[in-house]
Amino acid sequence: MKEIDKLPVRNRKGREFIEKVGSGGLALTSIIGLVFLLILVYQIAKPTIIDGEEGEIVAATEFLPISDYILKWDNPSVDEDGNLISEPIIIQLAWDDENGSHEHEIEITVIPQRNVKENIQLNENGVDTNEVTVGKKTKFFIYSTLSTPVSVHQISGPTPAANETGYPQVNTFVIQSDVSTVFSNGISIEESMAIISWCLLMVMILVYIFPNEKIIQPIASISKNHQIIRWISLVPFLFFILYEITVIRFFIVLNCFIGLRMLANLSEGIFRLSNQMKPLNDRILLKHSIVNRDGLMLWAKLFFLVSTFFIPLNVHIPFLTERYQDIFQPYSSGIRSAFYGTFWVMGIAMVMAIPVSIGAAIYLEEYAKPTRLTKLIQALITNLAGVPSIVFGLFGLAIFVREGGFGLGFGPSIFAAGLTMGVMAMPIIVLAAQEALRSVPRSIRESAYGIGCTRWQVTKDHVLPSAMPGMMTGTILAMSRIVGEAAPLLVVGAFGAVLFDPEPFAALTDGNINFTVIPIQIYAWTAEPGHEWHAMAAAASIALIAVMISMNSIAIILREYYRRRLNS
Amino acid sequence: MTEENIENDIPPSTRKLDIDGDAEIHIDGLDLWYGTKQALYDVSLPIAKNCVTSLIGPSGCGKSTLLRTINRMNDLIPICRYEGKIVQGETEITAKDADLVSIRKNIGMVFQRPNPFPKSIYDNVAYGVKLHHKPSREQLDSIVEKSLKRAAIWSEVSDRLHDLGTSLSGGQQQRLCIARSIAIEPDVILMDEPCSALDPIATAAIEELILELKKDFTVVIVTHSMSQAARVSDYTGFMYLGRMVEFNKTEKIFSDPDQELTKRYITGRFG
Repeated sequence: MKEIDKLPVRNRKGREFIEKVGSGGLALTSIIGLVFLLILVYQIAKPTIIDGEEGEIVAATEFLPISDYILKWDNPSVDEDGNLISEPIIIQLAWDDENGSHEHEIEITVIPQRNVKENIQLNENGVDTNEVTVGKKTKFFIYSTLSTPVSVHQISGPTPAANETGYPQVNTFVIQSDVSTVFSNGISIEESMAIISWCLLMVMILVYIFPNEKIIQPIASISKNHQIIRWISLVPFLFFILYEITVIRFFIVLNCFIGLRMLANLSEGIFRLSNQMKPLNDRILLKHSIVNRDGLMLWAKLFFLVSTFFIPLNVHIPFLTERYQDIFQPYSSGIRSAFYGTFWVMGIAMVMAIPVSIGAAIYLEEYAKPTRLTKLIQALITNLAGVPSIVFGLFGLAIFVREGGFGLGFGPSIFAAGLTMGVMAMPIIVLAAQEALRSVPRSIRESAYGIGCTRWQVTKDHVLPSAMPGMMTGTILAMSRIVGEAAPLLVVGAFGAVLFDPEPFAALTDGNINFTVIPIQIYAWTAEPGHEWHAMAAAASIALIAVMISMNSIAIILREYYRRRLNS
Repeated sequence: MTEENIENDIPPSTRKLDIDGDAEIHIDGLDLWYGTKQALYDVSLPIAKNCVTSLIGPSGCGKSTLLRTINRMNDLIPICRYEGKIVQGETEITAKDADLVSIRKNIGMVFQRPNPFPKSIYDNVAYGVKLHHKPSREQLDSIVEKSLKRAAIWSEVSDRLHDLGTSLSGGQQQRLCIARSIAIEPDVILMDEPCSALDPIATAAIEELILELKKDFTVVIVTHSMSQAARVSDYTGFMYLGRMVEFNKTEKIFSDPDQELTKRYITGRFG
């Protein structure tokens, strides 16, 4: 009787069951992936399947107003000094309102400069100017706040260029650039608390990374009370009991909790150091005394990043908090619905793509025997990673959006878009995960098998932890590729103007399925005529890049965490 | 006979397999192929209980293959197949429906390159125990301590059990791997050239350890160093091109081998 046999033996039945279920499940994920891929191949081979029925498509732009009208003279005759040789150009604006009909004449002076810009404002009091100076190849805009149409009539002067002739109606159209709408007046207590908690977290992270003597000194004075701080850190949770939980409150409480916990740990470390009469300016010792808080640090960093997303969204900055609500006031519109659209599309794509593709990668690398079928699947996946994104858009249109045939009929919804993006990310994630699994040294597997691990235990306990950093990187790269992708969603049916927060599962609950994402919003805004909209589009692109960078930094933090666990 | 004739005219695997005492494992008529290439020809071998059996022979002669067949590590190579029988007590190791987990639990293995898990020293040893048993915290602590002591590494790592196993030196890592194997108390420990990646001092430590382990375990060791085989083993098998050319007590093999081929190898005239 060996001594070890006296120990209670672990039940093998569960393990064997897991082994079977595990490999079955992995095979299943692989098969799901394969089915998607085969359907995709079929779709590419047989494109007629996306023939639509009549009368289905609703134009999204039909309720948008036609822009300001531009009169354009190609080359008015001027002499050397720039004086007009022919009759002066005079246009007449005519409109009707409650006070009767009005007429107003504007004289246009042409000077030999280029790119002179002047705009005319039209409101209830009439036009703000009688004379306009224009140069060569310049345009002037007439903006109107009237609720009634205005007609524009040229009375004298050279004939406008061919396309521009006629007497068009100017729609009511105005552009205000009111700075006060960009920064709303007054910040609520909740918002300021959110910012304070965010700053607390940031300071604590910085102190943890660069423990500086000057910062440490004030903390050292309270370090005796570290136990009290530890208790205080629980106080924010009272918020949850007293008030209703909202996103912003959730982040306030969690940020405060983690920040105070870090403070408590730090002061405890300092307390311990000063008890041992060690100097506080020894950085390595200090770091050592607050080490073993890696988990806390990870959470702190994650919460810091995520609340960097959410706290500004809930502090009132119209660009982030407002929807595309007022077509007359570009600067008061915002990317809120586009941001939520992106968030949900990415979320659904991740939830769908990551388990399926990592499961498929594990199955292909660890379980599948190298038969002809697996080689075929491998070749398919490799090729799919290079397929243009628009093709995936057509696939999504056929499978997720439309009904009939293979179509699941989710309509042009977030759900369909998320699934399409997920399918697009799948081959990339599979390839990256396979590469990561392949790079796990053989010796780790051998040593694990050598002490009697089952295949699933080897994968779970040894191969996956070693491959995790690589898998993370691949996954996030795939995700940041699809976050900026507009082409497939144009096909799937994202709108340019969504005036409400999108509902992620509207396709399943018969809600309003319309949605938009940031790239589509940028596209829609660049297509608008006014230059204010173009500025909005530029700002939205910066927001998109910020989203991507944050996603990548989450990946980097996770990857470094796993890598340090493996190597340090 | 000319020199070439001896090396080309390979005798069939020997059936002269006498050992004193009981055999822990019987290998009987084992043929093994990698794809279409045959690597072992009709190899038979008894492995004596609580003895050290060493396998020597030139590179590519099938020593490691034979060793890895004993705990079915060759199953990891998809193109590998074999015929023949390996029996440990009542268990037929080569059976199709054999329980690989309990086989590998009973037959531990130490590899050529030290390959501790990228976990702490403590976890390296405790992992295998937790895999098969449900020890309490105190039991686990005592098993880890005992295994590390038996592997003669406790004094070096006792103050840093929670450092990574991979941060140790090569010789320490190899002893940690041995500790990992003996923690689950197997019947047999297979060692595949355990000292080939180590310096002479670490090698001496491992050899001493092997002699110590012999009291509780049956050890099979593959080695390139004939002096090592002579120092540590009780029985020696000489393999050449997939055949078990000669098997006998170590003193007999190294003093008066039956086969001309063995004599030429151990006197260093080829290999």
